[in-house]
Amino acid sequence: MHRTLLFLALVCSLMTSSAAWAASHLKSAHFPNGVKLVVDESHEAPVAMVQVWLKVGGRDEQPGKTGLAHVFEHMMFKGSRKLGPGEFSKRIAAIGGNDNAFTTHDYTAYFETIPASRVDEVLSMEAERFAHLRLDAQEFAKEIRVIQEERRMRTEDDPNSRLFEELSATALRLHPYRNPVIGWMQDLKHLTIEDVRAFYKAHYVPENVIVVIVGDVDFEHVRAVVGRTFGRLKPRQAPPRFTPVEPEPLGPKRLLVRLPAQLPMVAITMPVPVWQPGKNDREVAALAVATQILAGGYGARLQRELVDRERLAFQTSAGYDPFGMGIDLWFAYGMLGPKQSAEHFEAGFWRLIGQLASHDIGPAVLEAAKRSIIADEVFAQDSLYLRAKEIGRMEVVGIGAEHRDAWLDAVRKVTSSDVREVIHQWIRADRATTGVLQPKTHRGGGA
Amino acid sequence: MRLVLACLAVVLVPFSAWAIPPIQQATLANGMNVLLMEAHDVPMVAMQLTLPAGSRFDPPLKGGAAALLAAMLTDHTARHEHDAWAGFLDQHALRLGSDVDKDAMHISLTVLRESLNEGMGALSEALLHPGWNEKRFSILRQDAIFAARKALEEPGVVASVAAHGMLYGDHPYGHRSEGSPDSLQRINMADLQSIYRRQAKPEGAVLAVSGDITMPELLRLVRQHLGSWAGRPSIGRQDIANPRPVRGQQSILDMPTTQTLIQFVRLGPARNAPDFFPVFVLNHMLGGGGFGSRLMEEVREKRGLVYGIYSYFVPLTVSGPFTIMLQTRADQADEAEHIVRQVMQTFASGRISQRMLDAAKMHLVGSFAQRMDSNRERVALMSMIGFYGLPLDYLQTWSEHVRAVTLQQVRQEAMRWLKFDDWNVIRVGPIKR
Repeated sequence: MHRTLLFLALVCSLMTSSAAWAASHLKSAHFPNGVKLVVDESHEAPVAMVQVWLKVGGRDEQPGKTGLAHVFEHMMFKGSRKLGPGEFSKRIAAIGGNDNAFTTHDYTAYFETIPASRVDEVLSMEAERFAHLRLDAQEFAKEIRVIQEERRMRTEDDPNSRLFEELSATALRLHPYRNPVIGWMQDLKHLTIEDVRAFYKAHYVPENVIVVIVGDVDFEHVRAVVGRTFGRLKPRQAPPRFTPVEPEPLGPKRLLVRLPAQLPMVAITMPVPVWQPGKNDREVAALAVATQILAGGYGARLQRELVDRERLAFQTSAGYDPFGMGIDLWFAYGMLGPKQSAEHFEAGFWRLIGQLASHDIGPAVLEAAKRSIIADEVFAQDSLYLRAKEIGRMEVVGIGAEHRDAWLDAVRKVTSSDVREVIHQWIRADRATTGVLQPKTHRGGGA
Repeated sequence: MRLVLACLAVVLVPFSAWAIPPIQQATLANGMNVLLMEAHDVPMVAMQLTLPAGSRFDPPLKGGAAALLAAMLTDHTARHEHDAWAGFLDQHALRLGSDVDKDAMHISLTVLRESLNEGMGALSEALLHPGWNEKRFSILRQDAIFAARKALEEPGVVASVAAHGMLYGDHPYGHRSEGSPDSLQRINMADLQSIYRRQAKPEGAVLAVSGDITMPELLRLVRQHLGSWAGRPSIGRQDIANPRPVRGQQSILDMPTTQTLIQFVRLGPARNAPDFFPVFVLNHMLGGGGFGSRLMEEVREKRGLVYGIYSYFVPLTVSGPFTIMLQTRADQADEAEHIVRQVMQTFASGRISQRMLDAAKMHLVGSFAQRMDSNRERVALMSMIGFYGLPLDYLQTWSEHVRAVTLQQVRQEAMRWLKFDDWNVIRVGPIKR
């Protein structure tokens, strides 16, 4: 779920960038203390997905405290007034449920997949830990070590993750997407339980809460339950979110990452706009379609030109998230064989982009790309988790789940010239940061 | 009012009494087994064709041949060269994929209901009319070689390569399905064609389907598109020797990482083992149940040594690997290994409580519906049931089997499977010089 790992789930990120629900199926309720509830009823199996979304994430951390939002997520499992450390998950397991949580730059979410008959109990437990978290110093001391191991596993020992981490840090000057969600190790070593307590007090307030429930439930019933659990939390003002305007790049940037690795890799990124409903529908939908043409489906242009025809890489892709906050870091990468050079890959990449920026793509390719995005909406309905997640993130970044149909309409309206224009305007070498992973040989024989 | 009644029904009916949708079954004249679970809430269909053509059929020293065959089948056909094929699949939003595990090859399709006919046509064309394009073969093989080398940046892959060799030697399970850079280099098109000619046959093959379709509709499509397919595989699913147990082996592999990865491995139970359910429940208590498991409790929750620690076994035609895996800062590796050893000894000496067993059973039975709440999960379950010849009411009786597991059985299985001396250990990480 961390941004540093995003590139590994490329096609996935496109697929999940827009799940499928008809916005008309959704039912929602607002409570006086600021809590919001969104429900998508689905009665196929006696299962429910409960997700509690918070409008707080890595972007809300102070300098020197990177990783704090994610550390906090871990502490939510470490005991509250009524529950001992670890007991929340044990109770969920005992009723036949599974629970977990995830943190990104923009949000934190806690979720439980449970038998639908146990929703009331789970909502009470969620509200209880939200209101009365224990935040014990000894538990923190253990958990911060777990999180350092998590960083070692996901980032320190993975040269590709590290390349992406450096790339984001180099590409952006102000926007918080420049810091890793897991936090820099230097910061993780200095966080304290006082930091965690201050974060709790500031951000875990009712007006930051969106409860999303998808599954075999009745809206009126769960509305009443949320009303007497989350709805009774004492209102408090949430601090404004940190949303700086990233200055426009002044020219191309480059960086080199030298680490033990088997093979080189090149990654290219640049800031691009995200969706503001009613304001930039055409532009952002065109960027999504352009990215689908480059990296989606069996005829993905990057793969066809750079891997199959020109043999400049053995794998390549690109990714774009139109539902970020402020900007998104659009990216593309190439995995290189031992004799494939970064220089040639980059030249081939920009040649291809140049063609797409100057020539309209044919109607068959355009229609296939749009159809694919819409088909993925349908396939995503197959998963309660994805359905809930799409509702949650559209809500939490301020777009609103009810705008879903407008997004599909915007995708349907994209024309060939829209695609050409957004590539010309946004995907440009003089706006890009390019990172190269250069393998440093290791004398050992492990690999 | 209807909504309120529906809600009451949910509260009153015990969860476990939920009627699991039945598997409908049909056998075609050519011997192919068709399994279906209907689900009409989303206008889509997911399916998977499973054949006895997994990596155990790779020729000696040519690991990855079946995987390359799977990639070739969906890359182009005799009727469509690669670009035209890609264009056709994209035009109809067909999600056609293929992969192999040790026993089986899977060709999968996810499709909108409105494109079912095109989708079935594509699956059939990929399976029955391979293109064998030499140029595409050399590109796919070269890219697979690079990908196999790139994968060696992951400590888990390095450990897995070692575990395969250690547990299986030259047994057909003794290599990763993806192959290695060296083994892939040795493969030529004739190797792929040979696996295809011998194993890609309908008798014993399983087509598992879930989604917005009925059996008559499905059978009409299957007869139309796969009716001409005939024959039986030259090696049956069950024709494979049991691997010989290996114990007490150690392997230490140097890698310039900050963590050390430790894998404890031994041979585990086969898919049709009579004691499958007791071992399954045992593993859930040990390290298969996430935060509720004993290993997670001792190594992560109490001591903060790892982000995750897991145990799992892969049930195959004969013994697949049984694995316990963790990653920890290199200087903590000895301590972590010690704790795992203690937990295994505790289990092996029979110190397992009724309370622990009950908690594991409650979790497993309660969360069973979640294992099949999407078309793709249902397809995977039915493929497994069909391919390994499990009874068609397997899903209906699954919870009973779990509930029937006794404390005495679990203790016996722990004694049988978890004696530390019967395991082997692989470490991957920095070696001090």
